Amino acid sequence: VKLLIFSLRTFTKKSTKIDSLLLDKHGDYIAAYGSKKDDYEYTLSEYLRMSGIYWGLTVMDLMSQLPRMNRQEIIDFIKACQHDCGGISASIGHDPHLLYTLSAVQILCLYDSVDALDVDRVVEYVKGLQQEDGSFAGDKWGEIDTRFSFCAVATLALLGKMDTINVDKAVEFVLSCMNFDGGFGCRPGSESHAGQIYCCTGFLSLTGQLHQLNADLLGWWLCERQLPSGGLNGRPEKLPDVCYSWWVLASLKIIGRIHWIDKAKLRMFILACQDEETGGFADRPGDMVDPFHTLFGVAGLSLLGDEQIKAVNPVLCMPEDVLQRIGLQPDLLS
Amino acid sequence: MAESEEEVDVLVQRVVKDITNAFKRNPNIDEIGVIPCPEARCNRSPIVLVENKLGVESWCVKFLLPYVHNKLLLYRQRKHWLDREALVDITCTLLLLNPDFTTAWNVRKELLQCGVLNPEKDLYLGQLALTKFPKSPETWIHRRWVLQQILDQFLAVSHNKTQEQQGEAEQPNADSSRQLSDHLTRTLHQEMRVCSDAACRYPSNYNAWSHRIWVLQHMAKGNGKVFHDELSSMRLWVSMHVSDHSGFHYRQFLLKELITEHYQTSASATINGSSQHWSSTLPSSGPHQHSCSQTNGELSGAEAANEDDRQLSFTTVLQLFQQEIELCSDLIQSFPGHETLWSHRRHVFYLLNQWRREHQCSSRGDNNSIHLNDCDPGMSEVSPQSYAGREESVNGQNHASEPMELDRVSLPNPHDSKRLKRGVLLPGTPTLTSEHSFVNSILDSCCNPEQRRFAVAYKKWLDTVIGLQS
Repeated sequence: VKLLIFSLRTFTKKSTKIDSLLLDKHGDYIAAYGSKKDDYEYTLSEYLRMSGIYWGLTVMDLMSQLPRMNRQEIIDFIKACQHDCGGISASIGHDPHLLYTLSAVQILCLYDSVDALDVDRVVEYVKGLQQEDGSFAGDKWGEIDTRFSFCAVATLALLGKMDTINVDKAVEFVLSCMNFDGGFGCRPGSESHAGQIYCCTGFLSLTGQLHQLNADLLGWWLCERQLPSGGLNGRPEKLPDVCYSWWVLASLKIIGRIHWIDKAKLRMFILACQDEETGGFADRPGDMVDPFHTLFGVAGLSLLGDEQIKAVNPVLCMPEDVLQRIGLQPDLLS
Repeated sequence: MAESEEEVDVLVQRVVKDITNAFKRNPNIDEIGVIPCPEARCNRSPIVLVENKLGVESWCVKFLLPYVHNKLLLYRQRKHWLDREALVDITCTLLLLNPDFTTAWNVRKELLQCGVLNPEKDLYLGQLALTKFPKSPETWIHRRWVLQQILDQFLAVSHNKTQEQQGEAEQPNADSSRQLSDHLTRTLHQEMRVCSDAACRYPSNYNAWSHRIWVLQHMAKGNGKVFHDELSSMRLWVSMHVSDHSGFHYRQFLLKELITEHYQTSASATINGSSQHWSSTLPSSGPHQHSCSQTNGELSGAEAANEDDRQLSFTTVLQLFQQEIELCSDLIQSFPGHETLWSHRRHVFYLLNQWRREHQCSSRGDNNSIHLNDCDPGMSEVSPQSYAGREESVNGQNHASEPMELDRVSLPNPHDSKRLKRGVLLPGTPTLTSEHSFVNSILDSCCNPEQRRFAVAYKKWLDTVIGLQS
């Protein structure tokens, strides 16, 4: 039975493994994404639209195809998403949240149009979300998560306003989420997770506290994410996923241990996640593509040194040249 | 076939009503799903209710979702008024189809705040959504907010009771105190069930398990019995889910909480440091539970910890560790090649090792003692460097981290030596040496390449992290 299933699969799927980067196809995929705005799928994901736009624009910029996107329409959209409290929502009519506040600021940095926002109000919004123990809530309803610590400092760093929050307390909270394996979870006592680790190492980079990490220990946990297929997972015994090629790889880059990964094998895995027909990347070979995995696939390849792609900053997942223009160079360990 | 706007309008209103009525007809609906059904069948409702399962035929979802979605947003932008009942029905429909739609949950938060909804309704709605979307982050997040509302109400009520008691002469009002704490206990156990179900529906469900941890951290603080019970009740589950890293991490969390609780009971014999006085009203019987306080913060005489209780507690914790390592060994041998099991072993052995060393050091008031990481913020500061490559200094002598042997350590306090004696000489206590033996026995007997890979990695970990770096 096993043999039959295997032969059926090769019959229906392409038998050649993809081993080259199909940049033009990816550009076409992103440029056309969401052009049918009545699509049911599009409505389903509207709750994260601002992040979706950030993923799409960033990958286009990394592929030097940003001009294909509609700059003014997007800037106007962002303006319509800033609320009185200063926070920004994922889409028009949705409630504001730190996640989408960061995405909006990242987009406006790509477009060098941060003045489209009332920056002071954004800063007030972020500052108002810091709790007594240094943690950050995601919005006024109070959910605490180390992701939000990252969102807060990243937003403020991009705006040059980090001094408005209690950085020491913020650091104290994030460190309280460090686990014995060197990793981080979403709250104190939570399981280590590659996504949370990325947020916390990014946070520590932006706050100049990377020395508080045990880089060897964390690096070891991170490189154990690499599977025989070459792909990376987010925790032990999970399946590999292209987005972890970002979370894990960027974390390794930040702590100066990217050479602990088998780069060639990872590159092969990422390339295999492309879809030759539609363009874009999926979470793993053969699955449906989406803009999220497309960004992290391309960004991962950039970190691995692909010269067809612009250099990407591992802390903020934005093109290095954008950050150079702003004058933001977060610390990295060597 | 294209539907006109009016037709869609009429259709959707009917469907939303059908869903509302289904819940009225059957308050015991326990699962939702979409029924693959590409076309409407002449005028029949797409809402199907069979026993306790609620289904929506797939053909109508593409009309239903965008319509209710946009209607809610028009309301949110004050472009279209919806009365409270309509809001409840629309958000219910929306969230059963798309529970990650944060704004819809927020609308319900507002309804809850003004008393239109009661919290139980949202816990129920969330539970249903999780049957189809067991990971849904926004559903778990909303759930925590609702639980916090319930907790705040409970705290407010017990605080008022305290004030009443202090104000008036007598009236202990034990009955309503009991009722409230029973309610909390039921809520706690309900949450455990919801987490369990979601964990079964999706492997290594990070969100379900981290929620479970949150619930214990907020609703069972200092209640050793709950942690103890959870540890025993999850034993079978993890044995049947040996790849579930989150499930095993939960056990690590429980063990760590039991250690912390052991410390607080032995260290705070006469002081009740707990400001969460409500936690003590949760049922907490058990041989090692002795820091119960009354709601007004006093300790009753029987609860002051004594030496024997502390010894019992120490032994109990040690036994838990032994049992955990044994469980781990059994599973590693029965199910070769599971990284999760080896990862669990690292965690458990690390905890055990830390706890034993800290127990020694703290009993001597050693300022250089190693502190447990990421435990209760009320305890020591985090020292991330402490476990790798740090030299241990006991009594001014540097020790390799072989098991602490009594004859190499001179202890000033006879109590401590008695305690240590019981600890270290307990047969079967895992040590660095026994761990190396275990790994070697696996390597000698096993040919599964994955198993060998993990065993070798564990050996390396023992040498690097537990052992000293030269």
